[in-house]
Amino acid sequence: MMLEENPRPVATAFAPLRLEVTDLAVSRGETVLMRGVQLSLGAGEALLLTGRNGAGKTSLLRALAGFIQPDSGMIRLNNVPTSDAAQEQIAWLGHTDGLKPGETVRMAMRFWADLHGQSRKAILPVLRALEIEHLIDRPAGRLSRGQQRRCGLARIELANRPLWLLDEPAGPLDGEGRACLAALVAAHLARGGLVIAATHQPLDWPGARHLDMAAL
Amino acid sequence: MRVYSAIFAREARLAWAGGGGAAGPAAFFLAAITLAPLAIGPSGDLLAAVAPGILAFAALLSVLQSAERLFGDDFSDGTLDLYALTPVSLAGLSLAKVMGQASATLWPLPLIGIVGGLMYGLPPGASLVLGAALLAAIPALALTAGFAGALAAGIKRGGLLIALIATPMMVPVLIFAAGAGRSAFDGDERAVANLLLTLAISLGTTALMPFGIAAAVRGRLG
Repeated sequence: MMLEENPRPVATAFAPLRLEVTDLAVSRGETVLMRGVQLSLGAGEALLLTGRNGAGKTSLLRALAGFIQPDSGMIRLNNVPTSDAAQEQIAWLGHTDGLKPGETVRMAMRFWADLHGQSRKAILPVLRALEIEHLIDRPAGRLSRGQQRRCGLARIELANRPLWLLDEPAGPLDGEGRACLAALVAAHLARGGLVIAATHQPLDWPGARHLDMAAL
Repeated sequence: MRVYSAIFAREARLAWAGGGGAAGPAAFFLAAITLAPLAIGPSGDLLAAVAPGILAFAALLSVLQSAERLFGDDFSDGTLDLYALTPVSLAGLSLAKVMGQASATLWPLPLIGIVGGLMYGLPPGASLVLGAALLAAIPALALTAGFAGALAAGIKRGGLLIALIATPMMVPVLIFAAGAGRSAFDGDERAVANLLLTLAISLGTTALMPFGIAAAVRGRLG
């Protein structure tokens, strides 16, 4: 069955969302990774987490997603704990992209669109925006690391969630890929979305705030 | 319901495409039941008497054989994180996932069990009862293996942990599935009762174990 050849639909704005983090403390075993973290992020804002390896960037993202139980503190989305709101509000891009080697890009995108309750009609326009439309019938095992990352970005766009948590989103991307990522983030912020990204590489996202994890 | 169908279909497809489908468990099962008589000896009466136990035990080990990959692959490629952030119940998702994979990989076990029973000298009726008992046991065995697989996801030498966790939990279904075949061989009327008890364990496991798997998956996310 062919995907419908629709132009990319005009995305509707998200309902206003605010992320509030208060006095967050996270540890792993005996090691305290961070304490006293305060964050406030509103619609259309982006935050870049920087810092050396082991500074806690990924741990903070995982705590925000609800994967890690913090030692103390509150994480709220519009005054609702993230544990209750994450499934409806958060799209996650980790170090890996959740692709299966034997599955084509088309199969993977259909699956994730179904799982997030989104229309399959959005798949082709999103792949086109990320310049991987021609890879749609290629098994994920035959994609380069950068192409897989673009598929991961397509998945979070398809999920249609306002808060994006991105762990090293530009890591495997080339220059064109980073430009696609920047355009995708800009469009997401313009819809009233929020983006928090952990990164080692400088990302040229206009207006993005920076948080140095080493300072926490 | 469409979402759970999508998960079920994807798991079945991936098991065929990436894991060799039913070939692995079927080959393991065949090898085990073919080698066992070489160790037991040529006595036909003895082989027929031990057939239900040997076949049920070999089926149990065949199910365990692929348990490590069930959640291990999803852990290493980040899929478990993504599942946790979908608006789908993690318990329902786990049930669809395990049963999708079981439908693609474990379907030959009852058929091989029937043929194996005949090879061991069981009467056709007793072989059919044994095959039915193995079919009834598959949900319990697969979900128990899935629970152990979820607990061990991403852990080095997880296979050992899976065997230690799952094997004791599979004892009841092993006893009743083998008991159904043995009772049928003896002409004992308890064959039907053993078969129904096997089915009851599978139904109970299907109702409860997905919540255990979901809790195990959440525990592996941190």
